[in-house]
Amino acid sequence: MAIVSIPTAVATSERPVKNRRINRTRLPAALALLPTALIVLVVYIGCMLWTVRLSFTSSTLLPKLDWVGFAQYSRLFMNDRFLVSAENILIFGVLFISGCLILGFMLAVFIDQNVRAEGVFRTIFLYPYAMSFVVTGVAWQWFLNPGLGLQKLVRDMGFENFTFDWLVNQQMAIYTIVIAGLWHGAGLTMAILLAGLRGVDSELWKAARIDGIPTWRVYLSIVLPLLRPMVVTATVLLATGVVKLYDLVVAMTLGGPGIATEVPAKFVMDHLFERNNIALGTAAATVMLITVVAILAPWIYAKYVRPQGRPA
Amino acid sequence: MRLKTRVSAYTLAIAMISSSGAFAQKAEVLHWWTSAGESASVKVFADQYTKAGGTWVDNAIAGGANARAAGINRIVGGNPPAMMQFNTGKQFDELVSNDLVRDVESKAKAGKWREIMPKPIVDATVRDGKFYAVPINIHGQNWMFYNIKLFKDAGVEPPKTFPELIAAGEKLKATGVIPLALGGQPNWEHNLFRAVLVGNGGADLFRKVYGARDQKAAKSPEFKEATELFGKMRALVDPGSPGRNWNDAAALVITNKAAMHFNGDWAKGEFTAAGQAAGKEYGCTIVGKEPRLVIGGDVFVFPVTKDKDQLAAQDKLADVLLDPTTQLEFNKKKGSIPVRLDVDVSSMDVCAQKSAAVLKDPANQVEAMELLSTPNFSGAMQDAVTQFWNNPSMSADAFVEKVVSAMQSAS
Amino acid sequence: MSTAIPQGRRPRHLTIGRIGVYAFLITAALFFMLPLWIMLVTSLKPMDEIRLGNILALPVNLTFEAWTKAWSSACTGLECNGISVGFWNSVRILIPSVILSITAGAINGYALSLWRVRGANVIFGILLLGAFIPYQVFLYPLVRIFSTTGIYNSLLCIIIVHVIFGLPTMTLLFRNYYAGLPIELFKAARIDGGGFWTIFFRVMLPMSTPIIVVAAILQVTGIWNDFIFGLTFAGRENLPMTVQLNNIVHSTQGERAYNVDMAATMLAALVPLVVYFVSGRWFVRGIAAGAVKG
Repeated sequence: MAIVSIPTAVATSERPVKNRRINRTRLPAALALLPTALIVLVVYIGCMLWTVRLSFTSSTLLPKLDWVGFAQYSRLFMNDRFLVSAENILIFGVLFISGCLILGFMLAVFIDQNVRAEGVFRTIFLYPYAMSFVVTGVAWQWFLNPGLGLQKLVRDMGFENFTFDWLVNQQMAIYTIVIAGLWHGAGLTMAILLAGLRGVDSELWKAARIDGIPTWRVYLSIVLPLLRPMVVTATVLLATGVVKLYDLVVAMTLGGPGIATEVPAKFVMDHLFERNNIALGTAAATVMLITVVAILAPWIYAKYVRPQGRPA
Repeated sequence: MRLKTRVSAYTLAIAMISSSGAFAQKAEVLHWWTSAGESASVKVFADQYTKAGGTWVDNAIAGGANARAAGINRIVGGNPPAMMQFNTGKQFDELVSNDLVRDVESKAKAGKWREIMPKPIVDATVRDGKFYAVPINIHGQNWMFYNIKLFKDAGVEPPKTFPELIAAGEKLKATGVIPLALGGQPNWEHNLFRAVLVGNGGADLFRKVYGARDQKAAKSPEFKEATELFGKMRALVDPGSPGRNWNDAAALVITNKAAMHFNGDWAKGEFTAAGQAAGKEYGCTIVGKEPRLVIGGDVFVFPVTKDKDQLAAQDKLADVLLDPTTQLEFNKKKGSIPVRLDVDVSSMDVCAQKSAAVLKDPANQVEAMELLSTPNFSGAMQDAVTQFWNNPSMSADAFVEKVVSAMQSAS
Repeated sequence: MSTAIPQGRRPRHLTIGRIGVYAFLITAALFFMLPLWIMLVTSLKPMDEIRLGNILALPVNLTFEAWTKAWSSACTGLECNGISVGFWNSVRILIPSVILSITAGAINGYALSLWRVRGANVIFGILLLGAFIPYQVFLYPLVRIFSTTGIYNSLLCIIIVHVIFGLPTMTLLFRNYYAGLPIELFKAARIDGGGFWTIFFRVMLPMSTPIIVVAAILQVTGIWNDFIFGLTFAGRENLPMTVQLNNIVHSTQGERAYNVDMAATMLAALVPLVVYFVSGRWFVRGIAAGAVKG
């Protein structure tokens, strides 16, 4: 950690404070946290329980509190579309997160080479993050459409046999969602990692140069491990995006061709709002929630809950 | 907080009463008509309501599902609009059963709605013997729009039945055009399937499948035949279809790239926007053994309120919506036809006139899916249809199985 | 920005390596610009030209009509006043929501990282989980909660909603930022007898500029682009610009004017874009300083 000289010096160690006087006057801190605690209790926990409860009912357009046991869950797990959705989110999640991290890291490294017009490059890489996907999705859809976009363009240049029809191909369509997702998310990842790179001590570069280590090796073997906290942050942000993935799919494929690009959040939304089937929608939401808890709980526990007080 | 709210609600109420002279019968209307053409049509209602002495407060939210969710949230949240749009059919069933919308039976009796509106529309709006909504238009959903020039160039007559359509499609394809322009999104694929089912399988089969969820009907040879015809139509569609918006599909017909396009009569709006006229650049026809027209449309419901001013506003709105001239003007702009069959449509476009003529015979009036089945079952059918359409290797029997399982499991 | 932060490697003369660097960046930039190019040329064409489908071609009949239309005369229902209608509503929602959610995040982060309150980390853990749930699931129960308290459909309501849903990210950012500050500062302030709020205002807040800018950028983007919360909780009088944007670009049965759609989308994104560009330097520094850690 010592060689990371982020402006405000993380370098100082983070050992827990054992100071009795601090422990005695915690009341104002507790009071300050009270509103958040209430919100967590009423909104977050309340809504989660409400969602879980509704998944055991037969609610359609309006919630009603009857009891049908696990009927919605057995429907859910017999539903092709939900199963395809689950598989898709796995493919998308892995490719999107790793893709954003790799592309974001490369962009950050290249921008870090003291290039001219850095601000312009950075804004270009970041702008997709600011745009509503409803319409940028149409632009992507046109570009990827074999009759309008890339395929037509290349064929018009004389390569008659060129084929790029991923968007309309059931096996490949999910990857076009990944491409558009990368376009949308890589910029933010770049910004976060670039910030990390800027924090790397210049002494380290000098030392590496004296030792004659090739630049790429320095980045991969020395700098990258130092960026771990940044990578984790970016991963968390990207992961929330994966779970909530909806707009992108609606704008580009509407889940098609067929059901090839359906995702869980779209399943939930369609059933809540379009299909008047709150019960099945909330059942799907509950399954998503449990999955996220199962994946995240150990990590959150180890990282934030167990070490009371100053985090490591 | 409570007290403050009450006080402010009180002062607000006073303010509203004192200003009610200036803003007579202010009525907030929630709907999802937002495109330029739709906007022009909603203006007809608003203008008439203003003429009648009311104030129309417009609340448009694009996307039916968005608008309905927002409206329903406001109804359960105790702050409903005066009037709210739904599609004709089962979308508002639960609002009726939970006593959240007013019945308009007295208006219906006075206006003889049961006599002047087609029976499917009446049935879809009446619950327990009372009208709970005002139907305002009829949209035909299974129109086939075609490019007159391309058919002429290929020397092909517009097809009358689906086998003919497939044959005509092959000929058109040989001339280098796209025979069938399809918006390759699940709901449009499903719309095409329903057009084939009702056109080739007949109205009864259509009702049995979507209304009664009759599994025997789904396993019948007629259903299979329709499915196979539908499957053959894949060959008429260009490879760029999946994911395409219907507007882009219609544009292919407009720009002479594609010959045919199935859609509801609202698609006329896209042709009109491009400066084309029915009967001139494009034609419209119903394909099938009989000219069965699948009809749906829009209704307005009136959320329950105790506010006398709002009640009066709702009454006045109900009168305005069904006035014959208003009906004619609204539907000209909307692309639909008047919900009252007693209105003279000779001033409307060719397609609308065809619609009205076809509907004169009650045997041709077929309830749209939204009238027959719950949104949930419609959705399950849509999932089945889009899988079949996009997977040429799926057999008709496998599709039937999916339909049967949708019938069993969807609530 | 090009001169802002010095770093290890100095630029050399134009070498093959430098050409490679620029080649990569320009290629990547082209990839990122591609949809923007399509949107830009489409927004400058009349519809007749768009229907022909040459999506990448420059406009033959260049027209800026779609832009003025999108801003001030496109129909969004009965009214045809473009997206400009909701602009000030969006601003009115944006400013208090951003300020309040950042304040809440800062106080939470401070209390969580430097004061040991029993159970606080459990609250934080649940909050973090909440960031993974699709918002739409919360809508109905929240409507019920707000309608019983009587503030449903008001500016206050939408602001509270934005604060609630900003809590997880904001708290995470500030918590890790404060955890990264030298603990000696805090200890010294305690020994000098500073209480919870004194230390917050006198010691912590003055050091928080970079992370506040980071938080502001994340929140400005999120809140400015929000559609579903605004639609559900703001009430008819306060609908944000995204509702008009949605009314223009999203129509199920209506005809579509793609040129206006594209222009409207680019116009609606201008506010966050300006914020990115202006605060770019702090954005990068801020995140570095924040040492946002997992």
